Amino acid sequence: MRSAHAKVALAVAAVPAASLAAVLAGSAGTASAHGTMSDPPSRVFACKQEGPENPTSDACKAAVAVAGTQPFYDWNEVSRLDAGGRSREIIPDGQLCSAGRAKYRGLDLQRADWPARAVRPGPLTVTYYATAPHQDSNFDFSITRDGWDPTQPLRWADLVPLASFTHQNPSTYTRWTLNLPQRTGRHLIYSIWQRVVGSDEAFYTCSDVDFGGGTTPTPPPTTPPPTTPPTTPPPTTPPPTQQPGDTWTAGKTYAAGDQVTYDGVTYTCLQGHTAIAGWEPPNAPALWRSA
Amino acid sequence: MTVRWAVLAVAAACALLLLGRCGPAGGSTSPAAPRGGPGFNPTDVMFLQMMAPHEGQGVTLARLADGSPGRPVRPEVARLAAAIAGTQLTEVRAMSARLRDWRRPATAAPGSHAAHGGMPATSPAAVRSVERGPADGFERAFLNLLIAHQDDAVQIARMETARGENAWARSLAATIDRSRSAEIAMMLALLDPPK
Repeated sequence: MRSAHAKVALAVAAVPAASLAAVLAGSAGTASAHGTMSDPPSRVFACKQEGPENPTSDACKAAVAVAGTQPFYDWNEVSRLDAGGRSREIIPDGQLCSAGRAKYRGLDLQRADWPARAVRPGPLTVTYYATAPHQDSNFDFSITRDGWDPTQPLRWADLVPLASFTHQNPSTYTRWTLNLPQRTGRHLIYSIWQRVVGSDEAFYTCSDVDFGGGTTPTPPPTTPPPTTPPTTPPPTTPPPTQQPGDTWTAGKTYAAGDQVTYDGVTYTCLQGHTAIAGWEPPNAPALWRSA
Repeated sequence: MTVRWAVLAVAAACALLLLGRCGPAGGSTSPAAPRGGPGFNPTDVMFLQMMAPHEGQGVTLARLADGSPGRPVRPEVARLAAAIAGTQLTEVRAMSARLRDWRRPATAAPGSHAAHGGMPATSPAAVRSVERGPADGFERAFLNLLIAHQDDAVQIARMETARGENAWARSLAATIDRSRSAEIAMMLALLDPPK
């Protein structure tokens, strides 16, 4: 299974870390990936099943158009390594399906035509497909509130708790039964798989379901709305070069030979670039040399 | 199953598991389990072992935007990619040197080197596929790939921030988190310029 999947991923080639992972996968044994909801299928799983290169649904096509195919090869990794039970603090409203990660931003598209499983109020057995089950994990399930609009950003406040299963030891396919409330039309079942011991990691899923009886879905926009970048805003276009001795400033574009000061030290630019946070001269010796 | 950093994250977590910090069978040991040492813990080691090869592959990926025929990119994309390649190369060297100082292997799974050809490098197949894609789609495919790659790097860095101990490694993780986040923001803006 692993090799077959890896072969597919390599064939489309969007896998810069492939050989590294291949090296490590050998020692990781079965613990070489994670998981997602397979029933009702999460958005990432639905698009993965359609095929990242040739998705069939308009929603998956749009998600691939926005953010590429790689997220769907990495379908079992919609995760945050730094969650530690703080999901609501670290994932902004509107980015719940992507876990706040730019890589997965296509999953946040606000559309009423994501592939959805038909459901009814009452018991629903759900299946979590864990390619690497981790011992001692908490699984939390919630559903969108009555009246939620799939064409609006999904907020934490839109979610109503359904069930929590704590200190679980999941297997490859783990099933739980949820009790769905009365709803009409389209809704989302949201899950958080929070590891408890040995890691802060958590996994997130958005599974679209349809209770029927809803209003006609709003036609999707012809071009998907860009999702809000989860990171700091990009710098504005800077002046081309700086006067010698100017203070280093993120957002400015520097040419080789330009001089700046940073923390009282003068630096000479070695390679043209637009300055960003993290590339302060002492942190970027490839870009700056102290004069 | 699939091939990504999360594999490495799992490897890291399971290495910790094997060290007895979690799981039902914590007593066993494995050649993959990193060991801490004076002033550094297993997470520090794993962070460097994961990040160095990941960054190296990022360098290879970034260099695809060097303006070669068939791979057209705007000048600002080429400039960003070149700076990413340059900064990551120096970081890789620093991380490798630190692992040598610590007398720890360069990668996390020495036992599996033989089966996979030794030190990891960016998959030639991955590079080929990006290179061979249609020219008019290259820049967008390139940016989305690099966004995904750097987004993974942010996650690896945050694992170190959460559980690492060594000051140098933690500082590097913080720098990586900030720079990759800013790179991603720039690339998102390059993909979808404000109208």
